[in-house]
Amino acid sequence: MSNASQVAHWFHALADETRIQIVEMLSHKERCVCELEQVLHIAQSRVSFHLKVLKDAGVITDRRDGRWMWYNINGAVLDQIATYTRSVKPGKHAGSCALACC
Amino acid sequence: MRRRTLLRIARKLGKPWRPIPPGLPRFPHPLALQLAHVAQWFHALSDTRRLHILEFLSQRERSVTELHDVTGIPISSVSFHLRVLRDSGLVDESRDGRRKYFSIRGETLDDMATLTHKVGPGKHVGTCLLSCCQRT
Repeated sequence: MSNASQVAHWFHALADETRIQIVEMLSHKERCVCELEQVLHIAQSRVSFHLKVLKDAGVITDRRDGRWMWYNINGAVLDQIATYTRSVKPGKHAGSCALACC
Repeated sequence: MRRRTLLRIARKLGKPWRPIPPGLPRFPHPLALQLAHVAQWFHALSDTRRLHILEFLSQRERSVTELHDVTGIPISSVSFHLRVLRDSGLVDESRDGRRKYFSIRGETLDDMATLTHKVGPGKHVGTCLLSCCQRT
């Protein structure tokens, strides 16, 4: 089980409308900044900033091909996010708290 | 500022950042409202203290003072974080006399899990404004 700050980092990366759209677009296939920039209609520098936030949190991975960077989604982290949201559902106590019950 | 300068700025703002190819339409997203909701869910869970509170709530419903006792977070902070969680729809509030009890809303967590599953690699949602989505 990952620690709380790592989990908060993942959720922070997805806590923005533009970044959710980027993730949605990347779920189809790997893309470069140029495509994202044209579809979202925002400046290249902002797309790169959002991509950096997503990359630092580990939600996406990048690959260099000559002069271009290609971005791809990291399925493992998305699975871990889904697992976390399931683990805190009511009645499914994670059992890691310091209470007498645990 | 002079009128001429203002007009020049206005003309610049009117132009798109770069000419857009025909296959790629412009920004206004059909799911703008939905996107704002989704962003709010993730924002609510992007703080370690809120995650800590959520873990205690996942066991059973609790009041603010109980959460203060078990987590050691000041009462005012607990109230603030609970408000953020409630506004995003992750936590429900019920009143019993003078006390308010907070419990986790499981449906929102389910929706979040579904969304992360949907945007996995090779599982395109089909709501983006790309030409690939419009052809199908």
